[in-house]
Amino acid sequence: MPELFIDGRPLQAENGQTVIEVARAHGIDIPHFCWHPALSVSGSCRLCMVEVEGRGLDIACNLPVADGMRVSTMSPDVQRRRREMIELTLLNHPVDCGICDKAGECTLQDYHYEHNGRPSTSIDAKVHATKFHALSPRIVLDNERCVLCSRCVRFTREVSGSHGLGIVQRGDASLVRATEDGAFDRDAYSDNVIDLCPVGALLSRATLYQARVWYLQPTRSVCPGCERGCAVDLWHRKPEWRLRELDARQNRAIVRVTPAGSPDDGRWICNKGRDLPAYFGRRRALHASVDGEPAPLASALAAARDIVSASRRIVVLVSSFASNEELDALESALGERIEAYVKRDHRPVPGEIVQDDLLIRPDKNPNRTGALARFPAFDETVRVDASADTLIVWGEGFDTSTVAPGTRLIVLGAFESDRPLRAGVFIPISLQTERDGHYTNFEGRVGAFSACFDKPAGVAHASEVFAAIAERIGVAA
Amino acid sequence: MNAPAAVRFEDLVPEFEALRERFPPGFSSSLVLPCLRRLQEVHGRVEDVDIASLAAYLGVPRIQIEEVLSYYSQLRREPVGRWHVEVCRNVSCSLRGAESLLDRLASKLGVAPGETRADGRFTLGTCECLGSCGSAPVVMINGAYHEHASAEGIAALLDRIE
Amino acid sequence: MTAMSRRIMTFPVTATSHTLDDYRARGGYATLARVVRDMRPEDVTREVAASGLQGRGGAAFPAGRKWGVVKLNDGQPHYLCANADEGEPGTFKDRWILENAPHLLVESMLIASYALQVRHAFIYLRGEFDLPYRRLSAAIDEARAAGLMGEGVLGSSFDCDVIVYRGAGSYVCGEASALLTSIEGRRGYPRNRPPRLTVRGLYQRPTVVNNVETLANVTGIVRDGADAFRAIGVADNPGTRLLSVSGHVRRPGVYEIVTGQSFARFLEEECGGIVDGRALKAVIPGGISTKVLKGAEIGPLTLDNKSLESAGSSMGSGGMIVIAEGTCMVRLLQVMLRFYHHESCGQCTPCREGTGWMHRIIDRIVAGAGRPEDLDRLYAISRANDGTTICGMGDAAGYATVGMLDKFRDEFDYWIEHKRSRCDGNLECPSYS
Repeated sequence: MPELFIDGRPLQAENGQTVIEVARAHGIDIPHFCWHPALSVSGSCRLCMVEVEGRGLDIACNLPVADGMRVSTMSPDVQRRRREMIELTLLNHPVDCGICDKAGECTLQDYHYEHNGRPSTSIDAKVHATKFHALSPRIVLDNERCVLCSRCVRFTREVSGSHGLGIVQRGDASLVRATEDGAFDRDAYSDNVIDLCPVGALLSRATLYQARVWYLQPTRSVCPGCERGCAVDLWHRKPEWRLRELDARQNRAIVRVTPAGSPDDGRWICNKGRDLPAYFGRRRALHASVDGEPAPLASALAAARDIVSASRRIVVLVSSFASNEELDALESALGERIEAYVKRDHRPVPGEIVQDDLLIRPDKNPNRTGALARFPAFDETVRVDASADTLIVWGEGFDTSTVAPGTRLIVLGAFESDRPLRAGVFIPISLQTERDGHYTNFEGRVGAFSACFDKPAGVAHASEVFAAIAERIGVAA
Repeated sequence: MNAPAAVRFEDLVPEFEALRERFPPGFSSSLVLPCLRRLQEVHGRVEDVDIASLAAYLGVPRIQIEEVLSYYSQLRREPVGRWHVEVCRNVSCSLRGAESLLDRLASKLGVAPGETRADGRFTLGTCECLGSCGSAPVVMINGAYHEHASAEGIAALLDRIE
Repeated sequence: MTAMSRRIMTFPVTATSHTLDDYRARGGYATLARVVRDMRPEDVTREVAASGLQGRGGAAFPAGRKWGVVKLNDGQPHYLCANADEGEPGTFKDRWILENAPHLLVESMLIASYALQVRHAFIYLRGEFDLPYRRLSAAIDEARAAGLMGEGVLGSSFDCDVIVYRGAGSYVCGEASALLTSIEGRRGYPRNRPPRLTVRGLYQRPTVVNNVETLANVTGIVRDGADAFRAIGVADNPGTRLLSVSGHVRRPGVYEIVTGQSFARFLEEECGGIVDGRALKAVIPGGISTKVLKGAEIGPLTLDNKSLESAGSSMGSGGMIVIAEGTCMVRLLQVMLRFYHHESCGQCTPCREGTGWMHRIIDRIVAGAGRPEDLDRLYAISRANDGTTICGMGDAAGYATVGMLDKFRDEFDYWIEHKRSRCDGNLECPSYS
């Protein structure tokens, strides 16, 4: 195990590591654009140069460690070279910070202030290139901002395998482009290049100009798009940046979704995860109803309680979007009184990738595993209301219009589209963004999510609903 | 403009197969350059359909072919005139009269460097060092070197091949 | 220089001198026959190393040392590539070999392949070279038909094929690693080292890339022995070199010289001196990426690596460009910077941005809008490209610029101040226009 010295600090390295890898493992940040721990070495930005005693300057990302090596990341030569490289990177870079979405999380901005900070010495006009190039329907590319680090290109070759991106032309006319047959449009992981891009060249069309990144805070969550349950950060407005006049929905919106942690961690999510704001932003059910008429929440809960206590056989179709905590709450409140079956709230929609070799799993629900650990699966071929007099439908994915008129119906749903058209009790419930909880993924790994917002007024947590409607159970029927 | 060739991609496959035989196994990717050169030879340029056909035939990602096409000076996706006249303007050729040669050819043809004459017969261009500095200045016409070029000599040649 | 000390240009060029029959009549392929019959691969490498043969593409790296890195019998394919890209402006000497002595290259490559355990050897030929392509292809066909190439060379157990691979217009593909990436069918992007190409090169296999002229010397070295090669020229740069001479000389062309001979006498006697009886203003000795020398400087110099280096320049690729008094050096630098900008592959930041920047600065100076600080900027950009780039092109653009500025600063100062050339701004001698 080689030992080397970085800025005088003795560090243990592993055989085959490069200097930048060892530095990162020990919390030393050597400025870089093109290097990424999950991608091959490009060695093209030339920013990560360090000084090796006895050998001069070399790029740290391609420099194998050797026992006894003494490296400086801050010698006068290194600092001078770093300034030169930053100035050259900025030479034709447009000063778009005022209108660029990346401001505030842009490594070029950060490095310029930290390692250069001087105005350009060029008096020549900058080379112009395409701005607002539609790289795909989802991603906008600004070639002037692009520093040609090739991270996005390498991602499509080495991770997603779409080979959707490349660099055309040469010299300072080089341009990142998507291949003309639309392969990048079909890349289910395309949006990861937005995180990978160290500058504001690759931007999400869906989030363009929506909010400055310093207005937003990330809350750790689990993507409910499929049973893999990727850890994600859901970004939403910080309390102190809430809008006063505009539609309050903006203050309760998820603005963007990123893989949990920093872009340098090498975690990816698929585009479905990026589109979660659309899922969470669907029209919510905000009031309860009884037999089609709006009712106060308390009345609806009372009506449901009456139904439950008068029922002989209660069947519950359990949501596979339920958290482990909510499942426990169901079991402890009503467990002995019900037959519960786990349904699929979501199924693959036409055109959706069912499964691939990377992240996408066929079950499009976040916690079927957790639910099946407690209750059996729902057999869809069986008429659920054959001998039940009460049916409780929890979550999406079941057509309540098929239920026999004689069966009493209680529906717990978060979305307006869950509200039944026929007679029954409807209780609006919270989303995962409005409470803490856990999902268990298909491998048995438990992922935690935290609340981003309070639940809306008039909406109940499902676990509270179960406790409330079970209150009179135990009184002899 | 170059007349559209009747040669289709499929017609060239036997030739490409023979070429593949000369390379060691596993060198499919290497065939990109020679196949593009051949396609350009028969079509005057590399056409969009050629790109898709070649990617499929060689089993390489399409992006590789798009990238290669835009990187190398000699490969093109746009057609040129019947006669592509390129004047080297690097150091040795400039020392031996390339600049005035280029000016005189431009006025003779009535086009600026980079342009094609309206009737599509001639495209005038410039190029970098052709490796023939001892016989400078050098003009390349449809890929053939014309060394010790003089404005009169090239002009007379252009008149003949017009 | 006597005919005896020539190693390459040893025969008069005729209509048939490039053919197999003529080559055999000159003793061709006898050395290959001896090699496959009597020698082991390591014997060949040892001879080449002992000869002190240095690369003749520009870097002057000892060929034998490069070959020695390749591990024999390691169970994986090895490759040999002859660098016939010859893109360095001012250089056209490899072309002489390709057109007139293709079999010398082929035999040398077969011998080198034998030494390096290479089954498939490549000649990377710049795309623009048409006659060389036809001559090489014909030579390879002849060699194959005569059993000199293919399965069982000359009836031995040594199998080897030489394949010509045509480039398509890119100066950077003359850089060894970019050359290999081009043979892989991709953009000619140079690679970072490590790994060295002799460890992981073509398709990640051990590969030796040698200049055409370097390889062309191999047959003679193995035939006559290392000592005979060492006996010619100067000790630290032995053998002969092919020089391509162009520019304002009476007799431009390819010359084979013994290293160590007088620079000034070579120009005057062999090349006929300057046209129009003009004075010598400057010489770029080894391709435009070497630093220009003023005419007055070459007096004490000899044509070998050490002498040129002592003057702050280099023998480089042997592409000698002669410049007569009355030539505008500002315009000449403009031509060079336009070239580097056009050829930059764009992969790494300092060269991609720097070559464009330098080109725009010199264009602005020539257009009459130059400022005194522009020259400081040119120096600064050259410094920012010195030792920071993936390949040598960034450094080369810098050397060319610094060379011109150091030696002819007054012309640049004049143009900036007076917004025009101090001479007439022309590059050509009047007799050419």
